[in-house]
Amino acid sequence: MAQPATQPDVSPRRRLEMPVLDRRDAGSDYVRLVLGAPDDWISRPGQFLNVRCESAPRSAAASERRPLDYEDGGEWPQATGLELGRRRWPVVRRPLSISRLDRRGRVRVEILVRPVGSGTQWLASRPVGATLDVVGPLGNCFTPPADDRLAVLVGGGCGMAPIFGLADYLADLGREAVFVVGAPAVAQVPMRFKRPPEATGDVARPCPTILEPHVPVPTVLATEDGAGGFRGTAVAAAERWLDQAVADRPVAFYGCGPEPMLRALAALAERRRAPCQVSLEQFMGCGIGVCLSCVRKMRDPGSEVGWTYRLTCRDGPVADAADIVWE
Amino acid sequence: MAQGDIDLGVQVGSIAMKNPIATASGCGGYGEELAEFYDLGRLGAIVTKSITLQPREGHPPPRLVEVRAGMLNAIGLANVGLDRFLAEKLPALARFDVPVIVNVAGSTPEEYVAVCAALDAADGVAGIELNVSCPNVKRGGMEFGVAPEPLAALVEAVREKVTRATLIVKLSPNVTDIAVTAKAAADAGADALSLVNTLRGMAIDPWTGRPALTNTVGGLSGPAIKPVAIYMIRRVWEEVAGPRHLPVIGLGGVQFAEDVIEFLRAGATAVSVGTANFVDPQTCVTLVDGVREGLARLGVSSARDLVGRMQRGGET
Ligand SMILES: Cc1cc2nc3c(=O)[nH]c(=O)nc-3n(C[C@H](O)[C@H](O)[C@H](O)COP(=O)(O)OP(=O)(O)OC[C@H]3O[C@@H](n4cnc5c(N)ncnc54)[C@H](O)[C@@H]3O)c2cc1C
Ligand SMILES: Cc1cc2nc3c(=O)[nH]c(=O)nc-3n(C[C@H](O)[C@H](O)[C@H](O)COP(=O)(O)O)c2cc1C
Ligand code: FES
Repeated sequence: MAQPATQPDVSPRRRLEMPVLDRRDAGSDYVRLVLGAPDDWISRPGQFLNVRCESAPRSAAASERRPLDYEDGGEWPQATGLELGRRRWPVVRRPLSISRLDRRGRVRVEILVRPVGSGTQWLASRPVGATLDVVGPLGNCFTPPADDRLAVLVGGGCGMAPIFGLADYLADLGREAVFVVGAPAVAQVPMRFKRPPEATGDVARPCPTILEPHVPVPTVLATEDGAGGFRGTAVAAAERWLDQAVADRPVAFYGCGPEPMLRALAALAERRRAPCQVSLEQFMGCGIGVCLSCVRKMRDPGSEVGWTYRLTCRDGPVADAADIVWE
Repeated sequence: MAQGDIDLGVQVGSIAMKNPIATASGCGGYGEELAEFYDLGRLGAIVTKSITLQPREGHPPPRLVEVRAGMLNAIGLANVGLDRFLAEKLPALARFDVPVIVNVAGSTPEEYVAVCAALDAADGVAGIELNVSCPNVKRGGMEFGVAPEPLAALVEAVREKVTRATLIVKLSPNVTDIAVTAKAAADAGADALSLVNTLRGMAIDPWTGRPALTNTVGGLSGPAIKPVAIYMIRRVWEEVAGPRHLPVIGLGGVQFAEDVIEFLRAGATAVSVGTANFVDPQTCVTLVDGVREGLARLGVSSARDLVGRMQRGGET
């Protein structure tokens, strides 16, 4: 794995309270939280925060109904059956990628939260003005391409958060990049559109109707149902884009998302003999390298068995795809 | 009482701790990561991850899962091995003004003895803590620490080689009566006892039916085990440690300053903090300040005065 975790230009890890400055729904599956950070905060795309969460205030379903309904003669809102069991009190922190960093004026760090369980549901419900107990910045980061090759950024489903920050970073460096985002359907893309994106079938092309957030590089949309953008996976869209628009130009791949997507991307990179960095997810006990829980098998020619375990939280989460022993 | 008048210092064997707070084995690595968050010199002691003779990769993931009010782990003693520990990790720890207690694990008595002898001879090792919750390959995998005879034999063998460092035996809670193993360890020459190690546990995914840990069985830690630890420390203090003036390092679910005070009252001279470091990397230093505040509130001038001080049940 690349090991730039202690780059001189990244601020030291620390525990701090961060205020929620802004909160927006992003697509049907995500909430975007903008957090205030100290002036000396510097993080790099790929790094993450470890956030202290409490238990979900109410199950999503129960929160739709209000106590008023009762006075109106409705049912008293009450979690039932399996819902109740989802209100666990998390013991350890929850890792969330730093989606974006804005250092113009007051330093802002953005996270993109997909509420999947108790902790992330609580997090997604934090209002503006709340503070979060955060440890960060943690982990290593993506390394920009070594030469002027085209950077192909592929993000899918949960886990695409850091790709936004990577697009910003590469654009700031003056590097050329294309962003391919994949989701089951348009509603699950963490973006808002001026008008519904047009279905383009098996043609991959940048989507002209993105309202928010602003992404500084051309953005190709892929949906599994095909109702908007390219029909198929993000990796298929990336490959199509390369065939259509790029031909033989050297590229470098960057991936963030579910494991099958990362594997498919790694295979594509291998076919095109292009470098590929991906961000891995693993359950994390501590996030700082002391519990040794978050290991992944990585190729290691120096070891007798050819591999060694590396810590996703400290040596990762970004890894060179060619080093990963997929299981 | 003013906080400035409070003496937090405690003594464990020949180790003078400036306060009763130490990290727990396996929960603070070799110190270097926590040192990014605070000066390790502020702690009473550092207890390292278990060291074995050879390096170990550990178990395949998942190695750690969250359960209600605790964690279940089966890390598999992943560690850099004795040689690299001595060459790299120990010198790095010497930069800090803090006693280093090295936790030792093994699969045969000979392995324990070899590692302990090397550590006893090394500069900068104040204490050796024996992790006796490891399977003894010579006895069909039965843990060293669950029966008094094999435990006594192990401690005696190690004691012969450990002539300088303070020898601490870390007791397993997975026994019928912890006073029995505590007594065996004390009789065999331990300078101090630490308890408890993790409780055996298991978790199964209700929907897939798969065990949550690749290793199936793991060790339970965190807030969930604190009452068990308090009970066992009290039992050991009454039966063994109190009468013999043997110091006890208490651990199991310590997270807040109140917990430390509770552990001292149960009979611990100092505490180790494990899982709580994962929740907040600054837990240990926060506890140092919190305990000072707590003692001031109690009007107790020295942490030592609180050890074992508990009302009888039913007293008011
Ligand atoms: C380096 C890293 C970066 C991440 N970045 C983001 C991000 O930017 N945005 C975001 O929404 N999520 C991100 N995640 C995933 C997020 O940490 C988990 O979704 C979260 O820990 C779940 O906690 P919970 O209490 O809500 O759910 P739990 O109740 O703990 O679990 C609910 C469900 O979520 C699944 N889950 C639990 N932990 C993880 C995990 N680590 N990865 C994937 N699924 C998990 C479980 O299988 C379970 O079914 C990241 C994870 C890692 C390791
Ligand atoms: C992830 C993890 C790794 C551990 N590794 C070790 C170890 O290597 N050696 C050891 O003696 N105890 C080990 N322990 C046990 C702890 O030192 C401690 O006894 C136990 O976790 C109870 O304390 P706690 O509730 O404060 O965590 C480990 C515990 C955890 C959670
Ligand atoms: S999460 Fe604890 S070592 Fe990586």
